[in-house]
Amino acid sequence: MRKNWKKLIALGLALTMTVSVFSGCGNKDDGKTKDGKTKLVMALWDEEQNKVMKEMIKVYEEENPDVTVETQLTTWAEYWTKIEASITGGDAADIIWVNALKAVGYAESGVLMDITEAVADLDVENNFPRALVDGYTYDGKLYAVPKDFDTNGLFYNKELFDKAGVAYPTDDWTMEDLKAAAIELQAGLEDGEYPIAAAYNSGQTTYEGSVYANGGYILNEDRTETGWNDPKTVEAVQAWYGFVEEGISPTSEQMADTLPDTMFEGGKLAMLMVGNYMISTFEQNEVINGKFDVVRRPSFNGKKTDIINGLGYAVNAATKNEEEAIKFLNWLGGEEAMRLQGQGGTVISARNDAQHYFAETRPELNLDIFTMDLEEAKMLEPRVPYYSDLMTVQREILAEVWAGNITLEEGTNQIAEKWQDVLDEKNGK
Amino acid sequence: MSGKNDSSKVYSYKEKNGKRQRNDWIAAYIFIAPLVIGLAAFYVWPFIQNVWFSFNDVNKFNVATFNGLDNYKKLFSDPALWGALWNTVKYIIIVVPISIFLSIVVAALLNASIKGKSIYRTLYFLPTVTMPVAVSLTWRWIFNGDYGLFNEFLGLFGMKGHAWLGDANTALYMIMIVAVWSGIGYNVIILLAGMQGISRSYYEAAAIDGASSVRQFFKITIPLVSPSIFFILITGMIGAFQVFDSIFMMVGPENPIYPKVLTMNALFYRNAFETGYKGYASAISMFMFVIIMIITVIQLIGQKKWVHYD
Repeated sequence: MRKNWKKLIALGLALTMTVSVFSGCGNKDDGKTKDGKTKLVMALWDEEQNKVMKEMIKVYEEENPDVTVETQLTTWAEYWTKIEASITGGDAADIIWVNALKAVGYAESGVLMDITEAVADLDVENNFPRALVDGYTYDGKLYAVPKDFDTNGLFYNKELFDKAGVAYPTDDWTMEDLKAAAIELQAGLEDGEYPIAAAYNSGQTTYEGSVYANGGYILNEDRTETGWNDPKTVEAVQAWYGFVEEGISPTSEQMADTLPDTMFEGGKLAMLMVGNYMISTFEQNEVINGKFDVVRRPSFNGKKTDIINGLGYAVNAATKNEEEAIKFLNWLGGEEAMRLQGQGGTVISARNDAQHYFAETRPELNLDIFTMDLEEAKMLEPRVPYYSDLMTVQREILAEVWAGNITLEEGTNQIAEKWQDVLDEKNGK
Repeated sequence: MSGKNDSSKVYSYKEKNGKRQRNDWIAAYIFIAPLVIGLAAFYVWPFIQNVWFSFNDVNKFNVATFNGLDNYKKLFSDPALWGALWNTVKYIIIVVPISIFLSIVVAALLNASIKGKSIYRTLYFLPTVTMPVAVSLTWRWIFNGDYGLFNEFLGLFGMKGHAWLGDANTALYMIMIVAVWSGIGYNVIILLAGMQGISRSYYEAAAIDGASSVRQFFKITIPLVSPSIFFILITGMIGAFQVFDSIFMMVGPENPIYPKVLTMNALFYRNAFETGYKGYASAISMFMFVIIMIITVIQLIGQKKWVHYD
């Protein structure tokens, strides 16, 4: 009898283990909660913003008692892998955060819903910056409602400027002013402290804006040709790469070791070109908090053309709650949600009438500059479904330039040649 | 006659035993079911899928279009593959022997009767139970060119520092140092278990015959733990061939030298998850599979020459 008991227990254990193996894979979800409410899931990657989103969701749930919204937080490093896997597996979130570079590829694969008609009431053409709306448009259809955006400014460490006895940057600086100040700073800084940093992969914040200011380009309108070997493009990149050659920026090796953002955060870098998304990070670090401010990017060729990038809310094409998801999407893009997001203070809300809230959260900083150059700003490139192929080439070759193994001219020619091969292949030439 | 009786007795015993054996088998199958089902679902099936994917163009969302041998043609003309293969081979040749050598030395010392033995054992085992990500991040900071401890240390001897992980010529060696450091603990545990299984009587006999302790080590300890050494050699080689996390964490895609320190597995990851060519990535992993299999078969044959099972 006793033996049988033992056998029975063992059998039971074995069965439970088997069952738990299976139940791990199933996870059937019909988009409803137990009490019959519609359940929406929003996938996102930012922990800071997750808190703001939850506050916003609370407001929405009060207005819509028959809906509950959950956020699904995945770290940036794994976010896209997770989204792609869950879409393949058929249980992806209903609302998905996307950026413009990814949105194009996802739209092409048909995993995002065409929301052109669904958000007609939001009148995105008139209520959101042109560049952003274009960024989420593919083949004439809209695939995401702009959520927030980032533009760039010249951040500076007041303490290092004071120490070196150099006057603070101003909004009307040119590239020449920046360079002159950097040279002056260098004389007054210690070992391990640097005036400015221009990393090989910092195009979004540094040279890409200058490329447009100078009349150069990265990709042409109809995505068939690259402007990487355009002399005007090369000239603009040279202006920033020159900082490395002249030794006023850390070397490529040093920046590989410690990212410029981290150097600035650690109080070792006097000036840094970066987006508004770094502000919360800087504020959380005692070393730099209260010691920095920001001005408009220095003008190049007389222009302050900047690069704009940002996030959008997209809808999973396979959502089980299409109607509710679209209703929620319309709310997210509306005045109330955009105001709440802006007041949360982590990002600049994309909606024109809600952009000012972000700067108001920190009157002590010169944050208005992030919305000053929107008219001229260009969307981050290369916005094509195969952007990662192009970026891989660009990174590898620019890394060689920055390491001093080839000249910038050789590098840009190589990039142009390889990009053109990819473009021709993808355009079916 | 009695013999015949005996054999019939044995026969009936066997019969009875057969039934019992069958019951035992059923029980045994139920016991291994969770493992077998897990293996089938998470190893065998993905492997079959991987073979199929390697003959397809697979996009980010696993939509596959058959393209025959295209992935393999691309594979053998991809300069990145040979770079990655060379990096991986270099890594194996350096990390595996050094790691095994040091592990044997440490295990032998820990097997001796020294004071505070268990403290040392814990210390050596700690890196093994520490998260690889935490290990990598800490070492990345130690090797930092401007603010790292390693350069501070070199500075004490008047040596000039260097951006160890920012230079393609040194980064891979730094990663190897960390790999050896963090791998010793596991090897030592395996070797210690082997060493403690050796009967004292061998050493007593050797001592009576006048063998020195060094001689005892080479003539008794090494041959008798050779199965353990063989085990850590095989698993170590396979592990080294698949190295990825330390490269990803200590150098990483943002680092300009990343393309130059890619190992096979990092190249696979890049194609599968960074650029999204899953079909091509599957071909890379098939290539890895074949190489690992060949190396392992060679080792299994070679072991007959030096591994003693007694």
